[in-house]
Amino acid sequence: MSAPFRNEPLLELRRASVRDELRGALAALDARLPLEVPVAIGGERRHAPVLDSVDPGRPERVVARATVATGADVDAAVAIAAQAVGAWRDAPAGERAAVLARAAGELRGRRRELAALCVREVGKPWPEADADVAEAIDFLEFYGRQAVALEARAELEQLPGERNTLRHRGRGVAAVIAPWNFPLAIATGMTAAALAAGNAALLKPAEQSPGCALALAQALERAGLPAGLFALLPGAGEVGAALVRHPGVHTIAFTGSGAVGLEIVERAARVAPGQRHLKRVVAEMGGKNCTLVDRDADLDDAVPALLASAFGYAGQKCSATARALVHERLHAPLLERLRGALDTLSVGPADDFASDLGPLIEADARDRVEGALRDAAAAGARVDRTVGELPDDGWFVAPAVVAGAPADGAVVRAELFGPVLSVEPVRGMEEACDRVDEQSYALTGGLFSRDPRTIELVSRRTPVGNLYVNRGTTGAMVARQPFGGNRLSGTGTKAGGPDYLLQFIEPVVICENTVRHGLTFG
Amino acid sequence: MTEVRSRGGRARGLGRLGGRRYLHRMSALDGEIAVWGRRLAGPARPSARDRATALLSRDPALRAALFRVVDVAPACDGPGELADHLAAYLEEAARPRGGGAPAGSDAGSRLAPVLAAAGARVAGSRAGRVPAGVAARLAVRATARRFIAGATPAAAAPELGRLWSAGIASTVDLLGEATVTAAEGRAYAARCADALDTLAATAARWPPAPLLEADAAGPLPRASLSVKVTALTPLVRPAAPERGRADAADALRDLLRRARDHGAHLHVDMESLDARELVLELALELLSEREFRDGPSAGIVVQAYLRDSEQQVDRVLAWARAADRSASLTVRLVKGAYWDQETIEALHRGWTPPVWSRKGDSDRCFERIVPRLLAAFPAVRTAVATHNLRSVAHAIVAARRAGLAPADLELQVLRGLGDELAAALAAERLRVRAYCPVGDLVAGMAYLVRRLLENTANDSFLATRATGAALDRLLEAP
Repeated sequence: MSAPFRNEPLLELRRASVRDELRGALAALDARLPLEVPVAIGGERRHAPVLDSVDPGRPERVVARATVATGADVDAAVAIAAQAVGAWRDAPAGERAAVLARAAGELRGRRRELAALCVREVGKPWPEADADVAEAIDFLEFYGRQAVALEARAELEQLPGERNTLRHRGRGVAAVIAPWNFPLAIATGMTAAALAAGNAALLKPAEQSPGCALALAQALERAGLPAGLFALLPGAGEVGAALVRHPGVHTIAFTGSGAVGLEIVERAARVAPGQRHLKRVVAEMGGKNCTLVDRDADLDDAVPALLASAFGYAGQKCSATARALVHERLHAPLLERLRGALDTLSVGPADDFASDLGPLIEADARDRVEGALRDAAAAGARVDRTVGELPDDGWFVAPAVVAGAPADGAVVRAELFGPVLSVEPVRGMEEACDRVDEQSYALTGGLFSRDPRTIELVSRRTPVGNLYVNRGTTGAMVARQPFGGNRLSGTGTKAGGPDYLLQFIEPVVICENTVRHGLTFG
Repeated sequence: MTEVRSRGGRARGLGRLGGRRYLHRMSALDGEIAVWGRRLAGPARPSARDRATALLSRDPALRAALFRVVDVAPACDGPGELADHLAAYLEEAARPRGGGAPAGSDAGSRLAPVLAAAGARVAGSRAGRVPAGVAARLAVRATARRFIAGATPAAAAPELGRLWSAGIASTVDLLGEATVTAAEGRAYAARCADALDTLAATAARWPPAPLLEADAAGPLPRASLSVKVTALTPLVRPAAPERGRADAADALRDLLRRARDHGAHLHVDMESLDARELVLELALELLSEREFRDGPSAGIVVQAYLRDSEQQVDRVLAWARAADRSASLTVRLVKGAYWDQETIEALHRGWTPPVWSRKGDSDRCFERIVPRLLAAFPAVRTAVATHNLRSVAHAIVAARRAGLAPADLELQVLRGLGDELAAALAAERLRVRAYCPVGDLVAGMAYLVRRLLENTANDSFLATRATGAALDRLLEAP
């Protein structure tokens, strides 16, 4: 029996010796770049690198060169997975969990190197890069234990003369379509859940982060995962679309933009010729997350938490706070302190421990954010930006605090996925709840209040999947804060929670008559 | 000096008589410490305030409710708003709580029925609401006044003068909101500069007090300011201490110059471990600069509750030996005030807590450090800052055994918490200094809540003493 789940310890970056180790790991990694990422199916690897991932802070630095999966690769991966999955599904959950725990060990052994890879490939600053690796380890350890617990669950009523059994059986082949913003954690999480529940997992990593996905593929292979149960299928949207369309795919686990998510939901609903099942979609999509600040809030706490929630990883977390809805009594003082605090932020290379914000992931992202800020300013909003120089190279954006943004503009309505915080006054928390309720997104929310009744009111009224009280809205921990949104933010599933595996399960109930000649043998 | 010796003789005599059945089990050192502890101990009967402290220690739910009132009071506009909060907290304190409740509060308050009724009364009628809010507000202010010497250094000056006349030196700590902007950092620096001016001018008018004004290392400044580096800069980044160090250097240098010009003492306070590297490196770096070779009198802090505090002592002593300075470095040795925060943060991140898990370990560590600091006199001046009578007595005995005169050891207390101890120390003609927070209620609230939590923590010395625990047991070796 394995030890109870505990979150993987984070690195203690406040110790100079730990920072030195990480710098060393980065230098060693740099010497090995670019990584070569193959299409990997059933133990075979195909190398024909055409797709480059680059350091968003220095785009001429190529981090990984990936082979792009073809339609034939997708077909082959599904076919081999379908063959392999039967034995895996029928294996005791403990065996599957043991493989995942070994994979976790593989990642653990490469902690520093993989954090460095996140820094390089997606421009993630060190603290968040380290947390990304730790979360990937958590998912492997957690879902393995959950599968064991699920198998042991005996929850049916039993009467004399019958034996009722509920079996949790893997659904079959899962397509995992992963985002770049948690390049290791989310790809690993969705993959680990599918595998733990007795499925095969075919991973299509984000085109921006194939190098991190390679680390997962290596970990699973070294952990002894039977061939065929996992495939690495790098590429752009077409690869994901081919997986979604494929009649041999049973479950699609997707994390990414709302537009793509809705397309997947629609597409997956069509039953292809020869397909004998309904596809299930697990989708984690965007957010436009609000933090409410009531009149009794402590600004000493609220200001740093808002900065971290809005500008951590340059706002490129789906859980990031994009709007602060502030009681009118505190609106002016909060805004003044936020503007002042904006100038304390340092925008620079992600590998510099002194940088508060790194670059955005790509040029389009930068242009989208700058465009939205220009529009808001043109409409009369006051836009404050961090002063200070930005690096010449890379997709850096100065974080912005916006006041008076038009209610129907992008700064208030659209998920910008960048370092932009709209600050808006409200007359009270009821009104703030109304504003949140108008949105179609419902991922995370925040509340700063010292009144238990206000906390109860907002908890009752909020539509969001994760509400954070008197703290920032990012940094959900596996098993402690199961994570996922409602409404158009997602299918309401909670990654890192007790029920997540059920999405990858086909339940089968067996009722056996145990009466024979008037005697019961069960 | 004569008086000290004669009193000491009498007390030693008492120790031999009264402590006979303990002494055979005690080392000579512990025996001497117990004698001093009894000499310094206040009245055996707990005061009303002590009894309140003891009650709060035993009732975590009530304690939580009261602290939350204190905490939120500055943010409330008018007594009605405060009354609403009070009612909500009392309601919550009356309710048994589930899994998420902090340890010790799971059973709810033992005064649950009383609290529920009080909460309902406060919330129920408009007529009851405002008086309850007013009362709460007054209680908060009264409590705050106990800890906070005045709204400004000028307002605190008479109190500092009274302390001085009673044989107690002081150091002023300016309370304020967290520094999140550069402007807030500059404002704090300006308040510090003003405070130095005011304190120097005020202190110049005080009558002579030879014990407080010189030790064997030389003259001791009358005016003293304790400064927080994290309030000088908004750039406190645990993973990038060099940012805060660079940002705060100029401001701290200006304060050192001003302190030197006024002949005042500047003490660099220590806070949570996240800022330690920044604070300590900056302080030692600036004090190594040529212009501060001969002053001002300055100091840093070592926190004995940190598992690596002895390595910090090594580092500081090595620095003091190597530094080309004529001025002494004062090291204030404390247990540390961020125990809960450090422990919780470590728990959340999967770290070994940087602090000792058991209080006894902190106390033992404290006693190991004291003689090492004393041995470095006069390059290092030791200021022992604790209300734990055993720790205080231990330091006094250790100083005597190290051959130091009473003036060569400084003992520090917090104003509002250690007043009785300070008086007892002064009566013994020992050199004592009170740490005096100055600032308005709003600014001081975070400080206040921490002090209150510390004071009523189950294992705090004052709380234990307030329950009437046997003095002999409290004076035993940790």
